[in-house]
Amino acid sequence: MKRALSLLLALAMIGLAGCRGAPAGGDASGSPEEGAGDKPEIVVVLKTVSSQYWRFVEAGAKQAFADLGVNGTVIGPASEAQVMEQVNMLEDALSRNPDALVVAPIQPSTAIPVFERYREKGIPVILIDTDAGWPGQTTFIGTDNATAGRQGGELLASMLQPGDKVALISGALGNPATDARIKGAKAALEKAGMVVVAEQPADSDKAKAMAVMENILQTAPDVKGVFCANDDMAIGALRAIEAKGRKLPVIGTDGTLEALEAILAGSLAGTVAQRPVEMGYKGVEYALKVVKGETIPRRITVGVDLLTRDNAAEKIEFLKQITK
Amino acid sequence: MSPVPTNAAVAPDGPPRARRLSEEVRHGLGALLGLLLLCLVLTFLSDKFFTLDNLMNIARQSSVNSLLALGMLLTILTAGIDLSVGSVLALSIMTMGVVVVQWQWNPFVGIAVCLGVGTFLGWLNGLMLTKLRLPHPFISTLGTMNIARGLALIVTGAAPIAGFPEAVQYVGRAFAGPVPVSFLLVVAMYGLFHVVLTRTATGRYIYAIGSNREAARLAGIPVDRVLILVYTLSGLLAALAGLVLVGRVNSAYPLAGLGYELDAIAAVIIGGASFFGGVGTVWGTLIGALIIAVLRNGLNLLDVAADLQTVVIGAVIIVAVYLDVLRQRSRKGA
Repeated sequence: MKRALSLLLALAMIGLAGCRGAPAGGDASGSPEEGAGDKPEIVVVLKTVSSQYWRFVEAGAKQAFADLGVNGTVIGPASEAQVMEQVNMLEDALSRNPDALVVAPIQPSTAIPVFERYREKGIPVILIDTDAGWPGQTTFIGTDNATAGRQGGELLASMLQPGDKVALISGALGNPATDARIKGAKAALEKAGMVVVAEQPADSDKAKAMAVMENILQTAPDVKGVFCANDDMAIGALRAIEAKGRKLPVIGTDGTLEALEAILAGSLAGTVAQRPVEMGYKGVEYALKVVKGETIPRRITVGVDLLTRDNAAEKIEFLKQITK
Repeated sequence: MSPVPTNAAVAPDGPPRARRLSEEVRHGLGALLGLLLLCLVLTFLSDKFFTLDNLMNIARQSSVNSLLALGMLLTILTAGIDLSVGSVLALSIMTMGVVVVQWQWNPFVGIAVCLGVGTFLGWLNGLMLTKLRLPHPFISTLGTMNIARGLALIVTGAAPIAGFPEAVQYVGRAFAGPVPVSFLLVVAMYGLFHVVLTRTATGRYIYAIGSNREAARLAGIPVDRVLILVYTLSGLLAALAGLVLVGRVNSAYPLAGLGYELDAIAAVIIGGASFFGGVGTVWGTLIGALIIAVLRNGLNLLDVAADLQTVVIGAVIIVAVYLDVLRQRSRKGA
């Protein structure tokens, strides 16, 4: 019996080892083993590789591996809640002694002790998507959330008249990314003469946003537009509005496929789309520059795209193609 | 003190003690062989695996689960379970974070608070099981699991706490030579509980309750007291695991330990303990925890995607439990 267990384990390991090349080097041309010695090795550790947004980041990074001749790997835990799993992965990746690390930490403070170990070995640490504020980091590449919020606010204002009442739905309290978006949007809306009648958190969650929007429609029935700090909340708010038989412009942030399809269907007014593919690509691109001895800025901003019915179809096409 | 009952008296339908023990040793040996073979295979597949650095990584990475699994083993030996360990870990470290980082109290007071919160929650689990007579610890600890997780989120409004003093980080961070202190702690705790389980009356009571609770009660074993002790210890060990985790990452966060109860249960079961209670050893559990850690580490080194890793761990659990079933069947048939 025990022998059976051992045998099964061994077989499983061998089987998995056999297909290990597939998830990592999919796009790279040629065999990953061949000539790996002279190519720089870059490890990309994401928050997870099991959600759409992170699949886009992964696709961008792999595109860069292929374009720039990098011997790279993209890894990440099974979900964004697995903080320690990610720390373990960072430790395990350290033993292969890569030339650079590109990382999006789930919980930045937990990753800093292992980042220190990278620094001790002289391996540059490039952060993408989420800043760690760690003095040893080489750079941070990400969306400027305040600007994203401002552009979202301006987009919403362009659909309304001065003096109209608007509502803001934010992420979890204390989430710096969603807070910055809301702050930016609020400033832009007020500057354009809108009146903010509600500002409530819905924890970036679709169902919560639906409940929050139902309450807002009760307390401020004359609200004319809504800005949400992410797309899931925008979809949730939209459902609440449609359930009331109303039609209001709702603007989201992120650019998920669901949001883009809702825009095409004419229900969602627009979204401020991040560029996850570009983020993954730039992460690898700048890591390579550092490996080659170039100096790079301490902070690199990835732009956003304002998407409405006019241009949502193109973006869908692009995202579907890159993850193919 | 009540008289120490012999095992034969409390478990009349169980196998004779000597035979049970030899069976456990054999099974423990099987798990050990499994671990060694796994290591051997990984050594061939990856030149990074059998290096001092990597083995010490595994020792560190297995520490938290090893401590949780030890508490879990105690509850499973009594034919119970403790689903709250991951959440108890989270609430213990979040409370410590508030005390040590936000209030700037003495770090040792903070450590005491951390262990105290875990112990208290474990004690509550035991109390609910024995005094409220909730039908199964699955229910009481499921309740505690949700309550403690919710409170851990409330403590800081879901924000993580970073920047612990050196004294708090010591067990999770420091090394003695090349060996992580956290792993030495694990070995020490396992040694201690090996003695408790095999050489003391309390240890025999724990096995006896798991073999046949009613017979244990009739034999004069203070069943309620032993059960309360078992769940209290599980809570304490969860808090200790939390202290190790905080040291490793220098921060406490409310989602810490999410789902860890499942890894702890897996370690206990892979290590040869029986869900029916009364069968299992600390060393088997340690090997179970190491098998899980080695698997995860090895699959990482081999670039196996995280979703596939989850599949492998699931398969290993099922195979291990199936072996347990076969074992039960052959014992009954004999």
